[in-house]
Amino acid sequence: MNIKDIKEFVATIPYNKVSIKDLLAFEKTPRNMLLAVLIVAFLAMFVIGVAIYLKHGHHAYGVTREHPWGLLIAVYIFFVVSSTGLCIVGSLGDVFGFKDYMMISKRAIFGSIVTILAGFAVIAFEIGHPVTMLIYNVLTPGFTSAIWWMGTLYGMYLTFMIIEFVFLLKNDMKMAKYFGLTGLLVGLSAHSNLGSVFGFLNARPISNGVYYPTYFILTAFITGIYLAFIMYGFRYKLKFPENATKMLVNLGKIQGLLLSILIFFVTWKMLTDVYGGMPNRAEVGVHIFESWTFWAEVILAIFIPLFIILKDMGRNVLGMFWASMSGMVGIMFMRYNLVHDTQLKPLQMLKKTEYQLTPEWVHYLPSSTEVMISLGGLGLCLAMYYVGTKVFNLDADEHH
Amino acid sequence: MARYGMALDYKNCINCKACEVACKEENGILMGADKHRIWVGTGEIEGEYPLLSIASNTFYPSQCQHCDDAPCQEVCPTNATYYDENSIVRVDPEKCILCSYCMNACPYDARYVDDRTVTVDKCNFCTDTRLDRGEVTTACQATCPTKVRIFGDLDDPESEISQVLRERESKTLKAHLGTNPKLFYLL
Amino acid sequence: MKAEVSRRKFLQGSVAMTILGGTAVTAPNLLSNEHAAKPSIISKTGTGANTKVVPTLCEMCVNKCAALARVENGVITKLDPNPLFPKSRNMLCPRGNAGIAALYDPDRLKYPMIRAGEKGEGKFKRVTWDEAYDYIKEKTLKILDEEKDNRSSFLFCAGEGMAEHTFKSFYEAFGSANWLNHASVCLQTVVSGYGVTLGGYPQADMENAEYIIMAGANRAEAIVTPDTMDLFKRTKRRGAKLICVDPRFTNTAAKADTWLAIKPGTDLAFVLALTYVVLTEELYDKKYVAENFNGFDEYKSTVINNLYTPEWASRITNIPSKEITKIAREFMAHAPKAIYYPGRRSTFAKNDFQLRRAMAIFQGLGGGIDTKGGLIFGKKLKLKTRESLAPLYDRAQGRAMGKKVKKAKGQTGYEDCAIVASGGSWIGWRNRFLEGKMPYKVRGMFIYKHNPVMNTPNSAKTIEMLKKMELVVAIDTMPSDTVMYADVVLPEAHYLERTDPVKTFGGLEPSIAQRNKVIEPMYETKPVRDILRSLTRMLSKPIFEITKKYDEMVQEEIEESGEAKVFAEFDINLPFRENQEHFNEHEVSQYPGAAEALATRGVFYPNMDKYFKQLSVNEHEYYPESEKAYTVRGGKPKTRSGKVECNLSNLAKKGIDPMPIWRKEYEYTIPEGKFRMLTGRHAQFTQSGTSNNAKLRDLMPENFIWINKRIAKEKGIEFADMIEVSSSVGKTKLRAYPTEKIAPDAVFFIHGFGEESEALTWAYRSGGNDNAIIEDHTEPVYGAAAMHETNVEIRKV
Ligand SMILES: Nc1nc2c(c(=O)[nH]1)N[C@H]1C(S)=C(S)[C@@H](COP(=O)(O)OP(=O)(O)OC[C@H]3O[C@@H](n4cnc5c(=O)[nH]c(N)nc54)[C@H](O)[C@@H]3O)O[C@H]1N2
Ligand SMILES: Nc1nc2c(c(=O)[nH]1)N[C@H]1C(S)=C(S)[C@@H](COP(=O)(O)OP(=O)(O)OC[C@H]3O[C@@H](n4cnc5c(=O)[nH]c(N)nc54)[C@H](O)[C@@H]3O)O[C@H]1N2
Ligand code: SF4
Ligand code: SF4
Ligand code: SF4
Ligand code: SF4
Ligand code: SF4
Ligand SMILES: [Mo]
Repeated sequence: MNIKDIKEFVATIPYNKVSIKDLLAFEKTPRNMLLAVLIVAFLAMFVIGVAIYLKHGHHAYGVTREHPWGLLIAVYIFFVVSSTGLCIVGSLGDVFGFKDYMMISKRAIFGSIVTILAGFAVIAFEIGHPVTMLIYNVLTPGFTSAIWWMGTLYGMYLTFMIIEFVFLLKNDMKMAKYFGLTGLLVGLSAHSNLGSVFGFLNARPISNGVYYPTYFILTAFITGIYLAFIMYGFRYKLKFPENATKMLVNLGKIQGLLLSILIFFVTWKMLTDVYGGMPNRAEVGVHIFESWTFWAEVILAIFIPLFIILKDMGRNVLGMFWASMSGMVGIMFMRYNLVHDTQLKPLQMLKKTEYQLTPEWVHYLPSSTEVMISLGGLGLCLAMYYVGTKVFNLDADEHH
Repeated sequence: MARYGMALDYKNCINCKACEVACKEENGILMGADKHRIWVGTGEIEGEYPLLSIASNTFYPSQCQHCDDAPCQEVCPTNATYYDENSIVRVDPEKCILCSYCMNACPYDARYVDDRTVTVDKCNFCTDTRLDRGEVTTACQATCPTKVRIFGDLDDPESEISQVLRERESKTLKAHLGTNPKLFYLL
Repeated sequence: MKAEVSRRKFLQGSVAMTILGGTAVTAPNLLSNEHAAKPSIISKTGTGANTKVVPTLCEMCVNKCAALARVENGVITKLDPNPLFPKSRNMLCPRGNAGIAALYDPDRLKYPMIRAGEKGEGKFKRVTWDEAYDYIKEKTLKILDEEKDNRSSFLFCAGEGMAEHTFKSFYEAFGSANWLNHASVCLQTVVSGYGVTLGGYPQADMENAEYIIMAGANRAEAIVTPDTMDLFKRTKRRGAKLICVDPRFTNTAAKADTWLAIKPGTDLAFVLALTYVVLTEELYDKKYVAENFNGFDEYKSTVINNLYTPEWASRITNIPSKEITKIAREFMAHAPKAIYYPGRRSTFAKNDFQLRRAMAIFQGLGGGIDTKGGLIFGKKLKLKTRESLAPLYDRAQGRAMGKKVKKAKGQTGYEDCAIVASGGSWIGWRNRFLEGKMPYKVRGMFIYKHNPVMNTPNSAKTIEMLKKMELVVAIDTMPSDTVMYADVVLPEAHYLERTDPVKTFGGLEPSIAQRNKVIEPMYETKPVRDILRSLTRMLSKPIFEITKKYDEMVQEEIEESGEAKVFAEFDINLPFRENQEHFNEHEVSQYPGAAEALATRGVFYPNMDKYFKQLSVNEHEYYPESEKAYTVRGGKPKTRSGKVECNLSNLAKKGIDPMPIWRKEYEYTIPEGKFRMLTGRHAQFTQSGTSNNAKLRDLMPENFIWINKRIAKEKGIEFADMIEVSSSVGKTKLRAYPTEKIAPDAVFFIHGFGEESEALTWAYRSGGNDNAIIEDHTEPVYGAAAMHETNVEIRKV
């Protein structure tokens, strides 16, 4: 393949020419207007947040020596989990060939691309030196580093997702399947590596072990399904056509199953944490159990959606749309909790100066800058998605 | 080529923090509550006045443990953290991307961010200051009033540290984590 | 956590300026918009270029540890211990390390100044040295003329320092009789208590003692060399048993085998009970006592007849009687290698002089005097005597003291003290001055390296006194609270910028050490010797004119032998003519090679090259065992009689108990709801002198008040809450530190914080000033401050 071939190949990718005017040409319903204003506001926050960060560095964040990872890490995880989840959901159709799910593939794969891009946009301002990273990740790779694997695999994953998406657009289902499958495998390993970033921390008994790498895959799938509901909710303005309803009902049932499994995961994690009696883990477990963010996670991400699913055996698609909104907020808490809980227990339990209290728990409060960049990430994600819906045809092709 | 380590006669420590100031002066460490390579910790005293537990107020001088199996090194994505030819765990600010993973992975809270290079820093046994000009003590050792520290080559059986470790019992911190620290607390 | 947050903020604000290799670099200070940029020195030591190492001596506190200053491109980047000095044993404490931050402190006094606003307002105008001297000259002449050449109309006061003597030469040449130094707020009673009992203030052989009682001294935090190093290198390992007696749990207590929480001011009862056990159980060294004691039998019968039993003392001190008995037995079992540590700051309670006597006698009972492992006198390498000038001014009055009073039949003393020591009584003198009880007018004062506003109890009164003085000249390095009340401020060069008088350090391993100038003085500062040289050059002739005018003796002498000859004896410039380096060379000229050794290595003692050995990376030997001055008097005390003086009848003539006895009024009582105020040291600070030091404040930015945890809880006081502490003389504010390390009826905070001088960027109003609330109690013998006799109230604000 030479440049010419590539050019030719690219030229055949179907897309719509859109002007700014087209982008602004949406139905001016109050709901749409609100959304538009929000997106613009989020993007503005991103710019402001980044500007503050560039001026003050990490001092603009709430992170400390004791709590070096803050909200942005959580948001990054949130986005890449979303991406992996959408990739799994998208793969059901084009990779595994479940016909009912074919219709969502393009949209989901596109979603997985914008979410991971949003994730990268956020993490770029958490990693102190992203450019150095690009250079030395290659020059002096740290093969024992879960972060290295995670980053590298996600980089590859993004590439595969884009290629898969291109073939989907071109309706080349065979190639889409190849790249989709590779992308999925790479994505899953990237994702469980992200879990292992925490799982490998032997300094942190609360996170150490196999739990996070596997749990991450499960929660990714769950996230993907929530996002499917949300994307379709917007696509059809909550008036779901029959084929979509059919697929979503199925997804809802799967979600019911996944959430039930998740309950087992979480319950046993908490039980082993608290009653396992392991020092530096049991007390952290109790502390987590007593924190409101844990309950926000459990109620919003698990209980509410599961209740709605169980109530009508997943048939209440509209309800599921709202439950998914709740679910995603819950998932955000889930990511925050994961990051924060890992760092809850000070590594150094002694008083370093006379006039201080004995370290007990590490406190962390996201700074306004972190919040702005995080919301900015969300804005970016929504904006990219919106543009995508205009530029590309994300619906399944009719003649299929 | 050496395998440098440090033995601490920590029960002699009076928590004066001369070592902390010396380290800052020698290595040009910025001021700041959490910008330090070295510290002395103590627990809250136990008991009620006047029946207090003296042992509960033991002072523990600490710094990077220069682990032989350093979690900070394992997790570093760019190998910015590396073992130098003297087995000293060091950070190359050129390569550090400030992912902070090592700060989370180090079980001893030995790492912090230097605001000038905006990279992670930690004790390096004064390599680029004292050792590089041929000195055989670290700043924290040299200044200590009660001579808590003995720095030296663990591979040299004749070195003072090797002798002391042979003669006296010692412990390492969080030994169960398998990090194999090269800081030894003499009992 | 509040306190930590503010600490972080403070520090973030303080990292702005970095001086590296002489150039100022602004580090990216990420919160600089929130906090004014504060400069400081943050530099890494380099690896070679343009480097020199200069041996010098630390002046961050009284110990004078030997240091090696590393200079790179003209900037001092590091102070390392100089291993050659036996007294400092190859160490520098945190303050010694932070000497660099003191040198480069941006708040330093940089040029001479004359007051522009009201006293205390902190308004000064910058002047040239000549303008400053002129101003001093005029005022001095005016006062001396009006006081008809009464040289004592000027007060001179000085803090401890290598050049204290240089300043004292000025006082002597000037001819005043009013001299105050730190003694009466520091060690007067311990020095004299041991002085009259054992003939000298001994050192303790911590290296060889097997058993040490440390009561009212905190060597882990109040660092005294070589005691601190020798002692704590041995605790919990090489077997020196340490008993710590302190009303609060200090870092010394943390290293002790036993900590005894004594009630403040009751140590005398403890020692008397120890003595009682030793006497009744006949545990003392009978041979030693028979040969070396005066008045033993009287003392013995006094102690026994008064029934100073452990049970009796237990009630007073709160120390279990079993412990007292046990300690008495153990001490004597280890004697003579047992030490009842004399201590240093002894301005505690009103009975302190008697306490120190009782301690000295107790030490003697075990025979641990002038012997290995006990208290020792040691040797001192003699220096050639300094040329000094002490002209006799006929018109100069004697020291301004209180009235002599008859205390009882046959007893005399002064109103506020029994004996006037050379260092005087700061509180006594000041209060007399304020109360108009001076025998003559004192109108001017020269202050050298001394901060009485911060360091003498009842700051308000000291301020009052400074305000009343017509001329206050302060020679200092920092805009201290005292400097704020000066009329003329003369900036001395920092200790790293000057060569100071060579000094001889006696003891077990005597040596001579010298502070060598490391860098040229920054700004317009000068060493005090140079300041005095110029000042006296201008002053000498004109004040002689005044003497000539009033002093008939001088007039007669001039008639007899001519003015030039007489003036030569009154030329106050004389002691300062020679420069410091030459002066030092002369002082050590009897030791071959000494001057060179001092200049190049900082330390000298005979046979240093032969004796000095590095034993290990940390340890050095200075003298072979056989050459150490364990015994210089065959175990005898240094008193004129050669005996331990138990019973001093001449004291009785001054109304002082001739033997240590307990008096009812010594008992510790405290009104309901009040707390006994305790004060003391911290390892990272020196009195008032270091609170603006950026590097030290980095470790601890302010002092906190210790309040017993249970009491704090009762009062709803939490960690870092702001507390107002008040007494009958004033109040101060600082944060709370609830801790079990202190008794429920006492509070403590570190001395030296809470400055009111706005010119001290960091120290200004950070923490509390203890002397703002400590009442001006004095002990009756010398009028030394009794600092732990104040009861205070606390209130959350
Ligand atoms: N409440 C309370 N009061 C106390 C004490 C206590 O524990 N509690 N301690 C007492 C004791 S033991 C003592 S010794 C005294 C000490 O009291 P001071 O003798 O006043 O000693 P410092 O507080 O060290 O203050 C010394 C002054 O000298 C200045 N200085 C420092 N270096 C130099 C120099 O090189 N040249 C010149 N010219 N000036 C310099 C400093 O800026 C400072 O203003 O305080 C006593 N006061
Ligand atoms: N780091 C540091 N070292 C110093 C100094 C410094 O400022 N900082 N200053 C130097 C100077 S000038 C001096 S004089 C010395 C002072 O050295 P020290 O005299 O050892 O020190 P302080 O802290 O003043 O007081 C000693 C202890 O006495 C306790 N105490 C108070 N009341 C009583 C009592 O009634 N009975 C008993 N048994 N104990 C009591 C206090 O709680 C305190 O812990 O330190 C010298 N060394
Ligand atoms: S210098 Fe020595 S005694 Fe002081 S705190 Fe450090 S280790 Fe402890
Ligand atoms: S102590 Fe921490 S920083 Fe030092 S080598 Fe071990 S893991 Fe790394
Ligand atoms: S912060 Fe720097 S040294 Fe630490 S793991 Fe990341 S790249 Fe390595
Ligand atoms: S060895 Fe050097 S770098 Fe490490 S703590 Fe000591 S002084 Fe600091
Ligand atoms: S004890 Fe510390 S402050 Fe005092 S002279 Fe020695 S090094 Fe300097
Ligand atoms: Mo003192």
